This record gives sequence, structure tokens and C-alpha cells, in this order.
Amino acid sequence: MKTDWRERRHRWDTRYAPYAYIAPYFLLFAVFGLFPLLYTAWVSLQDRNLLDGDAATFIGVDNYVQLLTADPYFWNAMGNTLSLWLLTTVPQILFALGIAQLLNRRLRGRTFFRMGVLLPNITSVAAVTIIFAQLFGRDFGLINWVLELFGAGRIDWQAGTGSSHTAIAAMVVWRWTGYHALIFLASMQAIPTSVYEAARLDGATSWQQFWRITVPMLRPQIIFSTVIATAGNMRLLAEPLLFNPGAGAATGGSDRQFQTAALYLYEQGFAKFDFGYASAIAWLLLIATVAITGLSYLAARRIRTD
Amino acid sequence: MTTVLEPLAPQAPAPSGRRRALRMPGPWTYAALIAVLAGSAFPVYWSLVVSSQTPDSVSSVPPVLVPGGNLFANISRVFDQSDFALAMMNSLIVSGTITLSVVFFSTLAGFAFAKLRFRGRSALMLLVVATQAVPTELGVIPLYMMMSDFGWAGELHAVIVPGLVTAFGVFFMRQYFERAVPDELLEAGRMDGCSSLRLYWHVVLPAARPAAAVLGLFTFMQAWNDFFWPLVVLTPENPTVQTALNTLASGYTTDYTLVLTAATIGTVPVLAVFLLFGRQIVGGIMQGALKG
Amino acid sequence: MRRTPTLVGATLLAAALVAAGCGGGASDGKTRITIGLFGNFGYQQLFEEYEKAHPDIDITDRTASYSDHHKNLAAHLATNNGAADIEAVDVGYINQFKANPGQFVELGSEVKDRWLDWKWEGSLSKDGKQIGYGTDIGGLAICYRRDLFEAAGLPSDRDQVSALWPTWEQFMATGKQFAAKAPAGAKFFDGGPTVLNAIVGQAPTGYYDKNDKIVVGDNADIRKGWNLVAQGVADGLSAGLLHSTPQWNTGFKQGQFATLACPAWMMAKIKDQAPDTAGKWDLAAVPGGGGNWGGSYLTVPKQGKNTDKAVALAAWLTAPEQQAKVFATAGLLPSTPKLYSEESVAKKQDPFFNNAPVGKVFTDAARALKPQYQGPKAGDVQTELGNAMQRVEQGKQSPDESWNQFVGDVKRLED
Repeated sequence: MKTDWRERRHRWDTRYAPYAYIAPYFLLFAVFGLFPLLYTAWVSLQDRNLLDGDAATFIGVDNYVQLLTADPYFWNAMGNTLSLWLLTTVPQILFALGIAQLLNRRLRGRTFFRMGVLLPNITSVAAVTIIFAQLFGRDFGLINWVLELFGAGRIDWQAGTGSSHTAIAAMVVWRWTGYHALIFLASMQAIPTSVYEAARLDGATSWQQFWRITVPMLRPQIIFSTVIATAGNMRLLAEPLLFNPGAGAATGGSDRQFQTAALYLYEQGFAKFDFGYASAIAWLLLIATVAITGLSYLAARRIRTD
Repeated sequence: MTTVLEPLAPQAPAPSGRRRALRMPGPWTYAALIAVLAGSAFPVYWSLVVSSQTPDSVSSVPPVLVPGGNLFANISRVFDQSDFALAMMNSLIVSGTITLSVVFFSTLAGFAFAKLRFRGRSALMLLVVATQAVPTELGVIPLYMMMSDFGWAGELHAVIVPGLVTAFGVFFMRQYFERAVPDELLEAGRMDGCSSLRLYWHVVLPAARPAAAVLGLFTFMQAWNDFFWPLVVLTPENPTVQTALNTLASGYTTDYTLVLTAATIGTVPVLAVFLLFGRQIVGGIMQGALKG
Repeated sequence: MRRTPTLVGATLLAAALVAAGCGGGASDGKTRITIGLFGNFGYQQLFEEYEKAHPDIDITDRTASYSDHHKNLAAHLATNNGAADIEAVDVGYINQFKANPGQFVELGSEVKDRWLDWKWEGSLSKDGKQIGYGTDIGGLAICYRRDLFEAAGLPSDRDQVSALWPTWEQFMATGKQFAAKAPAGAKFFDGGPTVLNAIVGQAPTGYYDKNDKIVVGDNADIRKGWNLVAQGVADGLSAGLLHSTPQWNTGFKQGQFATLACPAWMMAKIKDQAPDTAGKWDLAAVPGGGGNWGGSYLTVPKQGKNTDKAVALAAWLTAPEQQAKVFATAGLLPSTPKLYSEESVAKKQDPFFNNAPVGKVFTDAARALKPQYQGPKAGDVQTELGNAMQRVEQGKQSPDESWNQFVGDVKRLED
């Protein structure tokens, strides 16, 4: 009798228990991750505003038509998103490569330096943006003060398109460069030194070694970092929102000069509560992100591996 | 220190016989690195400087660059004039609960994927990996609608529940168990008639501690710094630290020193975690902990 | 470092215990009334007074920024969850909310006689339901810095200053005189949007006509004001600060501007922002006659659990006696005309403003005030107008370009 029960319990245990252990992940992901994303597609086909109560009218692709053909602010936001994507992703990767190269020596205080470059990454995006917004202040910002010291004029960082993008990109690059540098460093350490020795015998300078050996050997990590950075940088929201606090924060500047697509989604969805329209923006942004991620993957893959 | 990461260490591309003949750093290397470090630390340092000064100093010309003696006065003003204590408490509750839950569910599922045999295992694991790439953030509108239907909008569970599991955690723990927990150990347990749950509890979980700690650190910091979703679903009356910073910065308070002091205070918990466990965190990233 | 995981575990456990212990309400048998505000309503002492008189009541106030407050209130009403027991609503948003009077407790008309007629009607829905008790009204004056005026060689006595600018054109002309000899770093006014708001507040018709149609695009008064302010900006009179931003707040402390359009509630802001400038400020008449900017209502959302007690508190807070106290402490102008002839109000002087007769200035302003109809999204239009003027100030667009874009932006609000 007893063995029979144990037998059954054992069979249940091997057959079904594993599913019970993995079920919480799939359940929670399905309900709070996947379902909302898919449902976004449905909402995007509706005329639906929270403030009008629960009334939702099916309007087909009208929201998309409106966005793509008749909404200059959407294209403006997309343009800003692309500009910020370039201004953040490229310097991030380049600086990270340089810093990793610096760290890849027999340093005294290795851990200290590694933690030092990672420090920006652990600060919160809200705190960082508040601090940088003050540093980039027009009248009393530290950066303008330094510029004046060197005889350059003050810059109204928030006013211009280029200047505001530069300031926002500085926040993102500052926050993420160290993280990517550590990833590159880990792989640099795995490159066998014999490769470099051979190159040195051939008379390659260290600059040549870096571009001809190190960078090609890091190809997988560079691809990985580019993809990760792209996914994040296509959805910038906190930086442009907090760069310009006040009643009009969601517009991203007086002329929407730094309103990203994610911020436009936020403005339509959670300042105007136009859920249908905002959902359509979400899907278009999703498609754009996938496309740009694919492009940057292809670009990063072109690194030569000879 | 090393014991924590040792089981994580063996990684594919490390050729065994390689002598680490790394270049010796010259003075220029140190100079460049110190410049990088200064750049990394400066904004945080400067925020601390402003937090320790009088309200006027934030707009003084030339700018102040050394700390003053008003840090504690400013801190107490932050707590007096805003709900920052509530925000800190909320952030602690949210991040703590999410961390516990992510570690628990990740070790459980990671164990199943790594060490138990069941039909559809590899397909399901592939699915987990694939879900990592899904930008769930963009489902924010229906998620908000759900939360208000549940009556959770404005409540902390609205932030906690969607964060209870992460694909990364499951993947990370599975990789670890594959490497670090020998099958023989589990077989021995099975011979003694242990159920899989007991195996998990008595064998797997203790063995998971080093990796679980790293996962916990990452999760905690990420949850603490999360901005977008709390901003959407919470209200200024029941904020996390990050949304409270948003409220403070949007002109609600008239004193910018207070805003920067709050930013400094809000950074302290993650900074403390970082200073205590920086080596593990650096190690985790370098081992490809955040990869994939 | 073997202990690392234990340590982390202990921290997390502590957090979880905290989590488990939270979630209580007022446990001592008191009824908690929450009240959602924006800016400074001057209520702190009144709350204490009320709690003392009603030991069963515990008042909790929450303050958010102007735009967040109204945005969140709209969401809370729509989802029927999360609103405070009492919610303040600015005049710029009251029409949006009174379009759905069913979301609020109907307050009836027993105490109607307290208020100015137009204040009462402002929160009266189309079908005659009252959703809000009036708190303050704005009125208009000009706050100016005596010290900066003196430094620039202008008269600093308030009557003489008032005489400088019967009209906005003369105001700008004075600005040019100021600019000619201004101390370094000081401009004549804080920013175009603030001045423009005052001018808008004086126009007989504002952003909307009485059928809730946005007409600002064809409003000649506002367009004239727009051109005038844009010219002032071009003449270098503006410090280029957008009101209610951190930069603007700093501008007060640093003395970056000499004048500021001042509804009564603005005086409370100045005191909060730059307490060190006490005595340097003074108060002059506003160019172009009376007008209004701002002022609020207290509403009681129906979703609250203690609506009866909330109504009682809202009624008490907006009663003339309490409005008089708020005027005395924070300077917010009462919306109850009976007080305008009372000595404590009408004769009030404010030492922060060099003993300016704020009582007389603002009660006169209130009596002369011709109310302007506010549309459903007046607050949003005002935000767009601020953005538009900022584009001019930042040199991004010509005044005409920016105006046209503004008219287009406003049209989108109606869709």
C-alpha cells in the first residue's frame, strides 16, 4: 500500500512537477507582459479616450493613417528618436571600446577602476536627468560657466534642436558607457596574447593592433552591445521628460524639439488619455525599433573578421 | 570575495594555457583613467555638493564645487516638505518584494529547466529566451487599463506584480545550475527518495546562493531605478523615489537645492549596495550576467 | 564574503516584513479626509483648527504640481478610483470637470450667497448642478522690485509707478527705459508667457466663446497682446523664464527680473520662493484695467467614502471667515464679496511688499473685475500659449510663425 502511494507520488513528481515550477514565469509573463502588448494592437484600432468613459469605437486603421499621413508631430518625434539613437549609440560604443582598452592593462587597483566606470550605470535615470538638467542650465549651469571661461558664449541648451539632443545624449552616454566597457573588457581578456605578438613582429603599431585585432575579435560583444543600446535608446522617455520639467514637460520643449516617440506616446496616452492613438504610436514605435535594431545588427556585423 | 563568483567563472573562450602578459600601464594610462573616473563621478559628487549647501548656492556664479555644512539641514527639509519618507518606504517595499520574488521564481524555474527532464523542455526554454526580446514596455496602455479595472491603479501592487518574474532571471539561473550543480548530487538525493521540491529546497537552493545573490543585486537596483511604469500607474500621493523626484522637479517645490538633495538621498541605497557589492556586480556583468 | 547572500537575504526579509506591516488606515477611530491641492492654498493652520474643533476628523493634504494635479484628477474620475475626498480645481479646468457633474457630489445652493455671482456660476454645470465651492480669485496687479527700479533710475513709489503704465504699451515703454540703465543680469519682466496671461485675463473674451468653441485664433485682443509682448521680447525686456519652472523659481532668488504680473496668489509664491527679498517688492496697478488670472474651487468627488464630512469641511474652508484668514496669512484674494468691505481685509498691508495696501488694491480689483468665460480646456490652451511664446523667446520662430502654429495646436485640442 505504502509503496504504491510513494510510487504514484514519484510519478507525479517526475511528470508534472517541472511544469508547476516553470508555470509561474509563463503565467505572469503572459498576463502582464504578452497580453498587454498584443492587446495594444486591438486598442490601436479603436477610438478610445479614458476621459470619455469606457466608450470605444472600432475605427480600423484610422489612427495609423492619421499618424503616418497627417500628423507632423509624430514624424517630428520619430526624427528626434532617430537622431538621439545615433547620438547616443555610436559614442557609447566608441567610448566603451576606448575605456575597455585602457582597463585592459595590469592595473593597480583594478576593481576600483572597474567600479568607477560602472558607477554612472547604477544611478537612477530620474536623478541623473535632474542633475544634468541643472548642469546644462542656461543662466546658472556649470557647463555654460565653463564655456564662458573659455570665451565661448552661453548656450540655451533646451532651446535648440541640436543643443538639446547633445545634452540628452550626454546623459545617456554618461550612464551607459561604463557598462559596455566592462563587457568589452571581459572579451578583450580572452584574446590570446600570441595574436598580438605575431602582429608586433609584423611591425603593427598599437593603434593598428587595436583596430585590426581587438575590434574584430570583439565582434560578438559589439553586436550585442549595439543591439542592447539600440533597444534602450529607441525608447528614451525619462531624459527628455525631466530635462524640461513644468506644465509642458510632455511636449519635449517649446517646439517639440526633443520630444521622442516614447514621450509622444506618453503625451497622447497619459496627458491627453487618448488610448487608441497612443496604442498606434506604440505599435509603430515597436516596428521602428525592430527595424533599427536589425539595421544596427547588420552594421555591427560588417566589422571585419580577418 | 572570490568564493561568490568562482562557480560562475569557467567560461568558454578562456584558453587555458594563456599567460596573461598584459601590457604594463604607463602614467598616461593612469592619467586617462583618472580623467574617466572623474567624469563618471563628477555629476554624483556635484549633486552631493549642492545638497550640502545653502539654497542660493545652486545658482551662484561661479558655481560651488566644495561641500558645505548644510547636508543634514537639507535632508530634514526634504523629509519635512515632501512625502519623501513615504517614497523611500514604497521603493523599499517594491524593490524588496520584486527582488525576493524574482530570485525565488527564477531559481525554481531555472532548476526545472537545468536539471529536470520533461516534455517540451528545450522548446519552452527557447520561449523564455525569446520573451526576453519582447519590449513589454510598449504594452503600457492595456496594462494601465487592466490595473484600473483591478482597482490597483495608484497602489503599489500595480508596480510589484508585473515585476515578479523576469526572463533574464530564469535564463541566468538555468545557466548557472547547468554549470554549478552536478547531476550526481541530485541523483544521490533522488535515490534517497527525495521529491523534486525537497531537492530544490535542500540541495539546489543552497547551491544557488552565489548566483542568486548577484541576480538579487541586479534586480534590486533595476527595480529601485524603474521610472516609466511607476510614473504612469502611481500618483504623486503614493510615489516611489523616482516618481517623487519627478514631482519635486516639476516645479512643485520652489527650492532646487531640495530637488537635488532628494536626488542624492534617492541614490544612496543603490550606491550603498554598489559600494558593498561592487566587485560582485562588476563580476556579474563581466561574466556576461546581463547578456542575452 | 561567504556571508553575502545571507546579508542580502536579511535586508530583503526586512523589506518584506515592512511590506507586510503596511496598509492600515486611520486606526484610532478617526475619519480621515484627504484633500488634493496644487500650489499654496494657505490651509495648513485651518486644518489644525478644524481638527481641534472636530476631534473625529483627521485631515491629510496632498500637493502636486498644477498640471499633474489636474491630469491625475481627470484619470481618477474616469477610472472611478483614487481621487481624494476633496479635490481642488483651478478655474482653467473647472469647465472640463463640470461637463460630467455626475462624478461630483452636488453641493446645492444653500450657501450660494457667499460668493460673487460669476464665481458661483463658474462651477455650475449646464444643467444647474453645483460641483464646487469657490476658494480664491486671482485679480491682477503688478509686483515690482523697488531696488531694481531705483537702480535703473525709475521712480519706485507705487503711485508714481502705477502712473507710468496706464496701458500695456506704456508698460513696455517703461521697460525700455528700465533696460537702458538696468543693473547687470536684471530684465524688465520674467517671461513673455506670464505677461501674456495677464493680458488674456483682461480681455472680455478669452480662449473660448460661450458655446465652448475655441476662438482664440480670431481673438483680436489676444493677438494684439501677443504682438506687444513679442515686441517686448525682441526689445530685450524679458528674462526668458517660463513661469512655474525651476528656472523661474531661481530667477526670483537671483533678481533676474524687475516686474511680474501678480494675481493675488502670486504674492504667496513670491514669499515662498524668495523669502530673502522681503521688503524689496512693492505692488502697482496693472496696466489696462482689471482682470483675472486663476482662482480655484473645492470639489467633492462622488467616489469618496466620506462625502458628507468632506462637503462639510469644504464648506467650512471656503466660508468667508476662513477666506479672511487665508487672505491674512497667505494673501489669497477671497471670492466672497462680503469681506471686501471688512476692515481686516480691505485695510490689509503687507510688509513683504513694503507695506503695500494689498487689501485695497485687490478688493478694488475684485469689484472692478469683469469675469471672462473659461472653456473646457482653458488650462491646456494656456500651456500651448506658453510654449508658443517660448518659441519666440528662444528665437526659434518669428512671432507670426509661432502664432500660426499655436492656432493649429489649439485646434488639435478640440478634436
